[in-house]
Amino acid sequence: MTATQVRAPDGLGAGESTPARRRRAKPPRSRRTWREQLTGWGFVLPASVIVVGLSVFPAGWAFVISRQKADLISPAENVGWDNYRLILDDPNALEAAKHTLLFTALFVPTSIVAGILLAVALNRPLRFQWFYRTCIFVPFVASAAATGILANFVFDPTYGIADNLLRVLGLPQQGFLEDPNQAMAVLVLICLWGEVGFNVVIYLAALQSIPNDVVEAAVVDGAGPISVFRYVTMPELAPVTVFTAIWQTITALQLFDLVYTTTKGQPGDATVTIVYYLYRQAFELFHAGYGSALAYCVFAVTMVFTGLLVWYARRSGTEAF
Amino acid sequence: MRRPSRLTAALAVLALTTLAACSSGSDHSGTTAVTTLDPDKDVTITWWTGQDSEADELLQKLADEYTADHPNVTIDLSPGADTTDDLLQKLQAGFASGDYPDVSYTYGSWASVLGKSGRTLDISDQVAQPDAGWDEFPEAARATATVDGQVIGLPAVVDNLGLIYNTELFDEAGLDYPTDDWTWDDFRAAAKALTDPSKNQFGTAYPTDGGEDTVWRFWPQVWQNGGDVLDDDGMPAFNSQAGVDALEYWRELAVDDQSVYLDQTDQKFEPNFYAGHIGMLISGPWVLYDLKSHKTPYAVAELPGTDGSHQTISGPDLWTLYDHDDSQRAAATFDFINWLTQPAQDVRWNLAYGNLPLRSSAADTPEFAQYGKDYPGADVFFKNLENATTPRPTVVGYTAMSRAVGSAISDVLRGDGDPQDKLDEAADAAKIDLQ
Amino acid sequence: MAVARARRVLPFSGWHLLLMPTALLFALPLVWMVLSSFMPAGDINHYPPRFWPSRISFAGYTGLFQDSDILRWLLNTTIVSVIAIVAHLVLCSLAGYGFARLRFVGRGAAFFLIVATIMVPIQLLMIPTFVMFSRLHLTNSLAAAFVPWLASAFGIFLMRQFFLSLPVELEEAALLDGCNRLQVFWRIVLPLAKPALATLAIFTLLGAWNDLIWPLIAINNQDSFTLQLGLANFQGVRRTQWQLLMAGNVVATLPLLIGFVVAQKQFVQTMTFSGLKG
Repeated sequence: MTATQVRAPDGLGAGESTPARRRRAKPPRSRRTWREQLTGWGFVLPASVIVVGLSVFPAGWAFVISRQKADLISPAENVGWDNYRLILDDPNALEAAKHTLLFTALFVPTSIVAGILLAVALNRPLRFQWFYRTCIFVPFVASAAATGILANFVFDPTYGIADNLLRVLGLPQQGFLEDPNQAMAVLVLICLWGEVGFNVVIYLAALQSIPNDVVEAAVVDGAGPISVFRYVTMPELAPVTVFTAIWQTITALQLFDLVYTTTKGQPGDATVTIVYYLYRQAFELFHAGYGSALAYCVFAVTMVFTGLLVWYARRSGTEAF
Repeated sequence: MRRPSRLTAALAVLALTTLAACSSGSDHSGTTAVTTLDPDKDVTITWWTGQDSEADELLQKLADEYTADHPNVTIDLSPGADTTDDLLQKLQAGFASGDYPDVSYTYGSWASVLGKSGRTLDISDQVAQPDAGWDEFPEAARATATVDGQVIGLPAVVDNLGLIYNTELFDEAGLDYPTDDWTWDDFRAAAKALTDPSKNQFGTAYPTDGGEDTVWRFWPQVWQNGGDVLDDDGMPAFNSQAGVDALEYWRELAVDDQSVYLDQTDQKFEPNFYAGHIGMLISGPWVLYDLKSHKTPYAVAELPGTDGSHQTISGPDLWTLYDHDDSQRAAATFDFINWLTQPAQDVRWNLAYGNLPLRSSAADTPEFAQYGKDYPGADVFFKNLENATTPRPTVVGYTAMSRAVGSAISDVLRGDGDPQDKLDEAADAAKIDLQ
Repeated sequence: MAVARARRVLPFSGWHLLLMPTALLFALPLVWMVLSSFMPAGDINHYPPRFWPSRISFAGYTGLFQDSDILRWLLNTTIVSVIAIVAHLVLCSLAGYGFARLRFVGRGAAFFLIVATIMVPIQLLMIPTFVMFSRLHLTNSLAAAFVPWLASAFGIFLMRQFFLSLPVELEEAALLDGCNRLQVFWRIVLPLAKPALATLAIFTLLGAWNDLIWPLIAINNQDSFTLQLGLANFQGVRRTQWQLLMAGNVVATLPLLIGFVVAQKQFVQTMTFSGLKG
């Protein structure tokens, strides 16, 4: 297990295998000297120390708590792995995990596809591009309070815009966030609306690093827009897609803010995600130990998902590029 | 670039050394004796109000007034957090780091857990003094502030639930206004008559977010039916016939009559009432301020009754006092908070903000008469405190139990499940925490 | 790509058919936020919420600038954000480049550890982080707000992936010409990475500017309040000062939109000159 974990990050750089036209032989290994080591660490050390330094203690502390019966107020009691065992018998935790996985499965692919599509559109020489780009970024900057109020307003079953729209179209009224069968899907929509700007900006920037001459060469060779996209643009976006896929998976698995500002887990706990559930356990119900144990399970699952993405990226990397 | 790396290297070392210390729990015993304030010794106390900025301005003025009279005392006022819910996490962080305030606003339901922290001040002897006027606080508030025989704070806000109704909608429907001998059957009939789906108008409303706001509205009817929340052993009793009847009552209104506006956000039902879309609201004095600013035509009555019992519930919040092993700080903290709750100050804080007065003695002040005029119905809520005879349980497992009951109520009101089954499930879930 | 082909039948590019409705849909909350910030108290408390103000009122803005400490909050948040952006641009691009291009012992493990730090739900790390800051006497000051923003796993990861997609030829040529790594990084790589740096800057600005949950835990001292912390106190348990909140939100969002417009120039600029000549 440890061996694969430590090896995993190499794979995060699936894009390291650059397209064939740029492939060069790597410098021979013998040239790696102590000087090279120092240079490498010199580059990465300051940022690494901050990031890891700020996390090690809190993560260790949370781990200690996860093996205690603790409410963070009265004295704690060591209970070994009991909190972890409790998770297995907790149907609510299982439900929350299911909601989270459903959300992740719906959200991550759509946000990436929508991000690429919009970025390609926004990268074309069109009029009003400046306006379009700024607009698509708006939900991303708007405050959570405003987004929450607006989302509740748009999807209100009594007064909401969405229901009025259905009424005009002669379609049956929906409960949206108040219907246990729809609420999670509506949250995906709201989240897409709020988060797609993130992917768009990243893809827009990534599209800039595609040299025009490569595209032109392909066009001269008679490639249509679809071929150019498939064989020139897509491979160039691969390293960044590894990033967006991993990042959005982590975001989705840890979905919290949106639930907190819109549904608070309702109706009937249908939108309780795992992190919302652990937050509730730790900070409303005085089960901080149990909440921490859940957090470590989220950590483990996230690790597995990231590993799978890396593995997939590596595999397709060696095949496609 | 050198600074951050040195800093974070220090962090890493620190992380390892403090890890053990922090996880071992509290080392305070909470035994500092509260003496009288020494007027010659400078002291600074920290006060987390848990209020929004508007309320903080009122409180800051009072703090300034106190420090003007007591030049050796400095009061550091901070909201702590804008909502009381967030204050819990702040207190947890404070206790974990040893960096916590001298006094903070807290929910009454946290008192039992806070009492076990070993960080609270014991002010039992102070409130037992004849001139402390402890008996002037409502009984439910005194019970909430007392944990295992120790008093850990003074009431900050007292309230209770009553029936607020829209007089205009009653007139339109040709209904008689609620009276003091209204029954829940009268309530149901009125709710039905006030409901008009074509106008998006509902007879009444119920918050179904599954939190304590869902749950505490439910207890008065359980008590009126002769039931209780917990039995003598501290185990769930709410799934008795009394509880099932109470939930079945609301199920019939919500599901069969469709006369209840169910609000899973807990944010929309009160504005909906202010806007005149809801006929009757079971709520407390905190809505009076908003009713006034929305110019809603309303009046207040006590809760409908069962067999002549109009029992209601009170959900007092507290100023909880904390121990810092410093008798001068403890003395200053108690002296200030005691001063704050006196009628002369309370009328400028709670009454000005639309809340009920904390002490019965405040009823004799001219400000109270003015308050009754400013906020019609406030007098009814004040009188209604007498109907809050049973205190809400103050056991450690209450919060977790409340969450389970809240889910049961929300599910049943949405038409999902049978009252008996859901309450039994909740009782089972709650047992673990109540042991 | 069907949209692209629509050009032949439409007098304008088919892309507009996709972009115009999307843009309007996305701009809606901002429009509503701005409109509601000019509503008189009656409108803003109205239920259901109104879209158009019945008349224009500046009460929210006058209240904000006269009765609250908004200027101090703005200053504090600006300080935090500027420090965050500068530190991020320097530290994360260095680290991202190191992880993308340089070979050294422990590279994989270090990078893995960095990415792993974001896999524990942050909600549970708040309290121990506070404990750590408290021991370092960093709470209750602006330092509490900016120290966590000096570098981030996000920034390192993002920059690494961007550097990986850059061509290596120029760097290798420069190395053969006798440049050292730092010179290569400064003269060759950074100019090519402008869009990536702009992206990192805008996300850091956004994160530091809008951060609420950490300052909420770490800062009690009203003199060190950040903008979001100040605005949060307009919202109480039972009562919300909507006019102030909405006006405050507009004031808080505006600098971000300006920041984005500035940053996006970097995207546009590099479009016309391709980054790589030869």
